[in-house]
Amino acid sequence: MDWLERISITCFAASYLVVLGLEISRTVFRAAWWKWSAITASLAGIFAHAVYLIHQELVIGSSGVFVGGWTGWFLGSALLLMVAYLWALFRQGDSVLGLFILPLVLVSVAVGSWPGNSNSFSVSDTKTVWNAIHGISLLLSTAIIGLGFLFGFMYLVQSRRLKRNQILLVRLPSLEWLQKSAEKSLLVSAVLLTVGLISGFAINLVNRLGGNGLIAWHDPVVWSSAILLTWLLIALVTNLLFRKDREGRKVSYLVMFCFVFLLIEIGIVWVSGHVNRSQAVAQQDRQTTVHEVLR
Amino acid sequence: MILQIVGCSHHQSSIDVRERLAFNDERAAAFLRKFYSAFPKSEAVLLSTCNRTEFYAASNVPETNPSFDEMKTLLANACGLSYNEIDPYLFDHSDTEAIRHLFSVAASLDSMVVGESQILAQVKKAYTLASNQNEKIPLTHQIFQAAIKVAKRVANETDIHSNRVSIPSIAIGDFARQVFERLDNKRILVIGAGEMAEETMNYVSYYGGTDIAIINRTRETAEDLSNRCGGFVVDWMDLPNQLTAADMVISATGASQPIVTDDLYRDIIDARGGRPLFVLDLAIPRDFDPAIGKHSNVYLYSIDDLQAQCEYNRKSRQSYWPQAKTIIDQETDLFTKEMVHRSKGPTIARLKNQAAQVKDAELQRLMNKLGNISDHQRGEIEVAFHRLTNKLLHPPLASLREESEDSGNQHLFEAIKQLFKLD
Repeated sequence: MDWLERISITCFAASYLVVLGLEISRTVFRAAWWKWSAITASLAGIFAHAVYLIHQELVIGSSGVFVGGWTGWFLGSALLLMVAYLWALFRQGDSVLGLFILPLVLVSVAVGSWPGNSNSFSVSDTKTVWNAIHGISLLLSTAIIGLGFLFGFMYLVQSRRLKRNQILLVRLPSLEWLQKSAEKSLLVSAVLLTVGLISGFAINLVNRLGGNGLIAWHDPVVWSSAILLTWLLIALVTNLLFRKDREGRKVSYLVMFCFVFLLIEIGIVWVSGHVNRSQAVAQQDRQTTVHEVLR
Repeated sequence: MILQIVGCSHHQSSIDVRERLAFNDERAAAFLRKFYSAFPKSEAVLLSTCNRTEFYAASNVPETNPSFDEMKTLLANACGLSYNEIDPYLFDHSDTEAIRHLFSVAASLDSMVVGESQILAQVKKAYTLASNQNEKIPLTHQIFQAAIKVAKRVANETDIHSNRVSIPSIAIGDFARQVFERLDNKRILVIGAGEMAEETMNYVSYYGGTDIAIINRTRETAEDLSNRCGGFVVDWMDLPNQLTAADMVISATGASQPIVTDDLYRDIIDARGGRPLFVLDLAIPRDFDPAIGKHSNVYLYSIDDLQAQCEYNRKSRQSYWPQAKTIIDQETDLFTKEMVHRSKGPTIARLKNQAAQVKDAELQRLMNKLGNISDHQRGEIEVAFHRLTNKLLHPPLASLREESEDSGNQHLFEAIKQLFKLD
């Protein structure tokens, strides 16, 4: 199917730019055709995006969406955020959520398509169920923390403009909805991150049994992930225990700090080359074994 | 077809005049019955709202429709006034202008508050009332159905209805819903029991608010409000506890000093546990100390804050006016042409029928003279006669079609009717 190969990042990035343009135009004028145009352009972009990722993963096998890899990671997150935007279009059609979500989507697409990223994070040779669970759960938690950050940020913007009694030129979701959405994203991302960490331990265990390379427990990625998870759990418990006293603003700050933690962790992974080291350790182990046999 | 309107609206007449010309349903029905007894071959609709009284009369035969003077006299008599008393305040329109006017009224372009949504329901109601008095009103049926369709098109293609313009509707529909996703699980406290409180309470109920506590210095007034609009009455002395429990407060008393001071609010902050409090202070002078608005999670709106949004929404609606006007003009043009085309249809059919009769008679006469001829020859002659008739009719019919494009011009149509004796 030639047409599948012709779908490029430009196709869906252009669709998302059109949707962003529509969102911006909405702040100036409103028309009946707006919503359906945005839905059509979003669906077209999501379709092209999904086809591109599946094609890359299954046919070319280069992006590594499910087992980690910068291109697949960022493009996968962008796709999930875009799906969330489409859902929000139906749930909160009057609100200009796109002005917040779409820039993050486009930044993720831009970072994912950066030429230097394609080789910097190669895929492990061994693809196990644990690898898939590890990759998918971390990918989902990344997207949901990103979404939670946006909900928290929107809460603060909305709260600020309501406090200042500003004229409502554009609509945002209600404070109540934003607070609940931020809380939900906190909970879901904590669960997914836990699954991601546990599956990471499982991968290590499988590799140890198979005589492959291991990620050391003191690896920066492992302990930074553990810190992020701890932070998420503390945030969740605090939120549950002090339910009566919770304020939307507190929840917003909690999720925004989670996002900052996430960025730090991505930075650590970027700098330390988490998976490359796994491969390097495995290669070193294999070489040692060969030398021992030869001796 | 002829359509005429006589009426008054907020554009030309003061409220005193409009009050004297207003009709309730019962009086409107009686008026229409009287109209049909005087003009049985005509059709009528009476639209009466607080901002306008408009009397529509339509007929396919101009002679059977009342003149403007007759319409004004009927209206004056029904209101117990003389022609001279009401004539200076009445406007009149006919045909295309009358259709354009009705379309503008139904689409709320002629309303005092442009884009208000009640007028379409009032137009529908006026038509239903008219059809109840006389089931055979095909002309007004077409015109009013078209008006309703146009109003819906304007509503769909512009945002002229989207922004609210009254203080209570903005307070609840815009601001409260930016804080709360739903009102059915919120405690709403209404302080005061006046008109503003009542109107705002109606909006609260409309948006799903049910848990409404009413507090007023005079308990009886609060109970009256509770009987009319729902909610339950609480004791004035219980104000601090009610403020603690409330998620939203609507305050509209006539007090000369703030009822809720900053000190009072500070006393209940801890008990509130950080829940957001949305306060609509609709009183002048204000019931809430403005300093309360500075507390975290308190969203305090005074009437001035809401007024600014009100003005903005009003201007926003006005900005859609040209777009809506273009739709009205397009639809008026289309509808008028369609009506003209329809009204000429029977005459054109008679012309074609007359020509066909002449053709058939002459064909029959020729066949009788020719005697035995082959089927082929018979067929050729029939086709020739048919083509001749069509060719003779084509230029006048084409000219009539062209005239239909210019809805105001009927000369050629009348000339053809006379030339071919089609009446």
